[in-house]
Amino acid sequence: MGEMKQARPTVLEVHHMIKTYGSTKALRDVSLSIREGEVRGLIGENGSGKSTVASIIAGMQKADSGSMTYRGKEWNPKTMIDALEHGIGMIVQESGTVPGISVAENIFLADVDRFRKGPVMNRRKMMEEARRILDDIGAEDLRAEMLTGALDIQSRKLIEIARVMRQDPQILVVDETTTALSHRGREIIYRIMRKMREEGKSVFFISHDMEEIMKECDALTVLRDGEIIRTFDRDEFEEEEIKRCMIGRELKGDYYRSDDDSQFDPEVVLEARHVTVPGGEPLRDFSIQLHKGEILGIGGLSQCGMHTLGKVLFGAIKPVDGSALIRGEQVKNEADAMKKNVGYVSKDRDSESLVLQAPIGDNIAAGGLDRFALGHILVTPGAEKAYVNAQIESLEVKCQSRKQYVSALSGGNKQKVVFGKWIGRGSEILILDCPTRGIDIGVKQAMYQLMAAMKREGKSILIISEEMAELIGMADRIAVLKEGRLEKVFRREEHPQEADLIRYMI
Amino acid sequence: MKKKLATKVLSLILTGIMMASVTACGSGADSSSAGSSATQKVADPASDAGTAESTDAAPAEAAVPGEPFKIGVLVSDATSAEALGRRHYLEDYIAKAYNMVFVYSDELGDSAGEKAAIETMITNNCKAILSESSFDRPAQIEQCEAAGVYYAVGSGALDAEQYETYKGYTYYVGSVGPSDATEFETGYQMAKYYLDQGVRNFAIFGGATVYRNSMHVNRVAGMLKAMVDAGGEGASYQGMTDPGAIIGQLMADGEAKTGAIGDVTLSGYLGGYDMDDAWFAKGAEMVQAPGVEVLLAVGSGSDFFGTATNGTDVKIASVDAYAQDYYEAMANGSLDYLAGKFSAYDGPVFMALYRAVNGNPLRDPEGNAPAFDIGYWISTSAEGCKEMLDLDGDIDHPVWTMEELNALYDADYAAFEAFVGDYAFDRIR
Amino acid sequence: MKVKNLLLNIAPLIGLLILIAGYFVIGRINDINVAYGLKTIVNQSVVVAVVATGAVFIYTLGAFDISLGASTAVSALMAGIVYLKTESVGLMFLTAVCVAVLVSLLNSVLAGVFHLPVFVTTIAMLSVLNALALLLLNLGGTGSEIKVPQAAVKSLDTLWFKLLVLGAYFLFCFFLFDFTPIGRRQKFLGGNPLCAKLTGISLNRYSVIAFVICGLGVGLGAFLSIVYAPTLTRNTASSVGMDVIIAIVFGGMPVSGGARSRIYAAVIGAFSMSFLSQIMVMLNLNSGVGQMVKAAIFLLVVFIAAGERKMKTLPR
Repeated sequence: MGEMKQARPTVLEVHHMIKTYGSTKALRDVSLSIREGEVRGLIGENGSGKSTVASIIAGMQKADSGSMTYRGKEWNPKTMIDALEHGIGMIVQESGTVPGISVAENIFLADVDRFRKGPVMNRRKMMEEARRILDDIGAEDLRAEMLTGALDIQSRKLIEIARVMRQDPQILVVDETTTALSHRGREIIYRIMRKMREEGKSVFFISHDMEEIMKECDALTVLRDGEIIRTFDRDEFEEEEIKRCMIGRELKGDYYRSDDDSQFDPEVVLEARHVTVPGGEPLRDFSIQLHKGEILGIGGLSQCGMHTLGKVLFGAIKPVDGSALIRGEQVKNEADAMKKNVGYVSKDRDSESLVLQAPIGDNIAAGGLDRFALGHILVTPGAEKAYVNAQIESLEVKCQSRKQYVSALSGGNKQKVVFGKWIGRGSEILILDCPTRGIDIGVKQAMYQLMAAMKREGKSILIISEEMAELIGMADRIAVLKEGRLEKVFRREEHPQEADLIRYMI
Repeated sequence: MKKKLATKVLSLILTGIMMASVTACGSGADSSSAGSSATQKVADPASDAGTAESTDAAPAEAAVPGEPFKIGVLVSDATSAEALGRRHYLEDYIAKAYNMVFVYSDELGDSAGEKAAIETMITNNCKAILSESSFDRPAQIEQCEAAGVYYAVGSGALDAEQYETYKGYTYYVGSVGPSDATEFETGYQMAKYYLDQGVRNFAIFGGATVYRNSMHVNRVAGMLKAMVDAGGEGASYQGMTDPGAIIGQLMADGEAKTGAIGDVTLSGYLGGYDMDDAWFAKGAEMVQAPGVEVLLAVGSGSDFFGTATNGTDVKIASVDAYAQDYYEAMANGSLDYLAGKFSAYDGPVFMALYRAVNGNPLRDPEGNAPAFDIGYWISTSAEGCKEMLDLDGDIDHPVWTMEELNALYDADYAAFEAFVGDYAFDRIR
Repeated sequence: MKVKNLLLNIAPLIGLLILIAGYFVIGRINDINVAYGLKTIVNQSVVVAVVATGAVFIYTLGAFDISLGASTAVSALMAGIVYLKTESVGLMFLTAVCVAVLVSLLNSVLAGVFHLPVFVTTIAMLSVLNALALLLLNLGGTGSEIKVPQAAVKSLDTLWFKLLVLGAYFLFCFFLFDFTPIGRRQKFLGGNPLCAKLTGISLNRYSVIAFVICGLGVGLGAFLSIVYAPTLTRNTASSVGMDVIIAIVFGGMPVSGGARSRIYAAVIGAFSMSFLSQIMVMLNLNSGVGQMVKAAIFLLVVFIAAGERKMKTLPR
């Protein structure tokens, strides 16, 4: 691969790019280049500038100064559409589809007129072309006529991928897209990236997932605080060193737990007993127990039912059969679960765990009003301030003050606010669904240490996660689900590997 | 970024142009928007700057006997012919002649609106209120009395009980308008006109009789009494022949009952102002019932039922005001008889307020506020209607000129009363 | 940024102060009766201010009640009928409040039972209440009006009584909104109902609470309407519904509710509207132009309030 790399010409160059937002310098003099047939990973913590530089390349916004050349000519796209028409396309993390129209119409968004002859729309032709494009990217099960709004997040992301890929971009930017995707969705992206490499096209691949980035990329550029720290060639890939470049210091101490054995009380604090929930992510006659002082991991493919399990145990979903019990008592609803000292962190942080357009203080206090209100009625500003600030300090939430709106925080700090909501009220049992998704390594470590500390205090944690390394690193026991059923339970002492887990997942 | 700014600026400019154009269309024109507290000012030809209308020279160089001031005008109906006509007279003649400022309310919908409008007028230093809105006259009078602002009823009257209560109030100036007796007589004469021609089958539109409005009740009572008188031996309305009894029955029932009145037949009756499809259908049914010859309407019959009588021989008689629409209705045959108020009703009322504010209030021999009775002009032909219409709208030579009104400034009660009573068209013309 | 946020928070208050200053300055120039004018402004603001203060609880949830005007009218009409039968002002007051609270309760409970957005039930309720108003006028009055004797309420038709009612209700709502979990939970629900549900906050429960509090305000507003103008017709309180929405927006309340909701927005907005109306009259602007100026200011206020939310967030 090394010789091939030398031979391939540079296709895009960025020279001394600077970008500032108000008082924040997002990019300080960034210069990089990419070759034909190269998959370049961009990695860095939140605020490092990796998304900023990629979005400028793809025409989403303009730099304050600096220049770019694409195929030897000056590159200054007016818009993303302009950039895509000239060969550079981007797939983003946020949702980019319109729910009320069909898959085909979304693929050809803004370009449906090509199927129009006079007043008549040739829908059949549009559907046929859409089908062809979906087949090309490997999403054969998506039907072109389906209503987008009825599809799940992953399928909608595949539509966006199809939309970009049909324009046959020469350079593709994948901006943290894989975070929202399951195994299958990720495979589609990897397949596209590999195909592009074979065809001499290039990819900028942005991800938090060290493993996938090291697996798929030819080279890896690390950014920190708006500057390029180092670019690693594939043969130089070394995880610890990459992490060190990302956060600028050694990750001190353990990342996950340091102990090897599963110690917990025999008391059952949380239980699913023969729970059945129909629907898109079903559970079928599912039973599991969480013990006092235990960290129980729940793993599986994304539709295996584990996310449903979290909501059932918190009282947010009622099973059609079976029951969810907290210390032997049936859970009626969320308020009841909270009274029984259970907390729930949803995997959809922005839409289910936080009110983004509200201050940090409101978000933390909302979970504990019954705890710090005098006589459960009188809320004094002083009590609220003390309650909230205690959480901000103990979790080291990086913010201007408790009055700052949550929407302005980074992903990691947002998650800390969510944790603060539940820890503040003294939850003894925590149900955590994908708790470290989209979070920097530094913050991730802090969260794992927090979980380990909580376990030592006798609190019980249920971690639902699609990151196998996380489950292996943290859990006393790991329960693997497949299609709504419990397939296997591993104990920590057995030192299960990812391959062992996967065998029961698929 | 620049593009966004340019777009915003352009939007603001366009919005401003739009607003300015609509304002230019709107200013000076009559407004019919409902709203209880907003008021609008009219024609202030006084020399102070910043007033709405251009100042023409006053119609005559004759001096006015008193000082100008602001008068608030309460209106519950801003768009009818009557309202527009009177406003035309006040704005375009009286205001200019006497250097007055009239502050009009928006079209009022209830007593709360009246009260709010009066408050706003008093805040804006109106020294007098001319009321053409009757949702709660007692409340209006009390409010003005408490605030020391003069009050008069234009084109209407207090009922007997109200008059007895308020006639001695310092700031109650009086009323000029048809009394209940005049209303009764108007209805009576209207029905008699047709009965004398041999008509024996009628329908009646009773309007606000359902709300026990005394004006409409008296008109209907007059019509019924005329039918009783022409109905032959033993004719009665529901067993009654006495006007008072008929009025009482109408007040109790809220409507007139159809049936025979001697050899006269009341075939149809409709009241209220629902003005929905069902109501119009009932109206059509009423005028198209077999045998109906004439529709007697307490309000504007041709407006509501003109279409329904098209192609029939049914004649319509209305009580309203003089307006171009009614002349045209007469000309094309959909209106046959009009008892109309004329716009200069407000002349004597204005003068009474003018006197009061200038320290020369008019009182009757007992020291009470006057209640001047005034009636209608009757037209039964398009030509006659046109003559009356032309005089009604004439600003150069209005029904009551400034000179005639000036003569009332120092007139005693008898002379004033005589003046108002001398309203017949033949006399004035 | 902090200064900008502070300014945005107090902008409605600044707006009101500017309008008050304008009223006095223009009033002096036009030589109006200032003292009487202030009384006029209180009279014309107080019903809307009371009803709108209660409505803040509903709007905070991100909900909407289009039937407030009709509810005020029906409560007033029923109270008027009770007075005519009993000649008791106390019972009239109680009737106004109870009817208003019941109507509000019905709105919110029906929404919960049928799993509808509460806005939908208020639309249905609007039609029902309008029809009920006509029925009450026929049953209890002449068909066009219900006349409570002026003498019965004259002693209450004073500035002090009205300000007392407004003040007491405002303090009550202020306490509930800012010093109890009620206001905070409602703001949370308005900000993200799903997150609130997963934080144990029940939308149904807090909807009912919001509507009951608002119903109390409607009842007080209905009583004050009778005190102001005791002859009740089908047009009684007809503009209250629209005026409440305008007042709330003028006062800086975000229409979608949530964390930026402020309990005092309604009072600021109601008084701002009245001062603005009086200024329009003093400036000799006919009512068409006056309405357009109000509309332009309304749009400006909404634009400013919405603009603060479009904060730039960094691509991560």
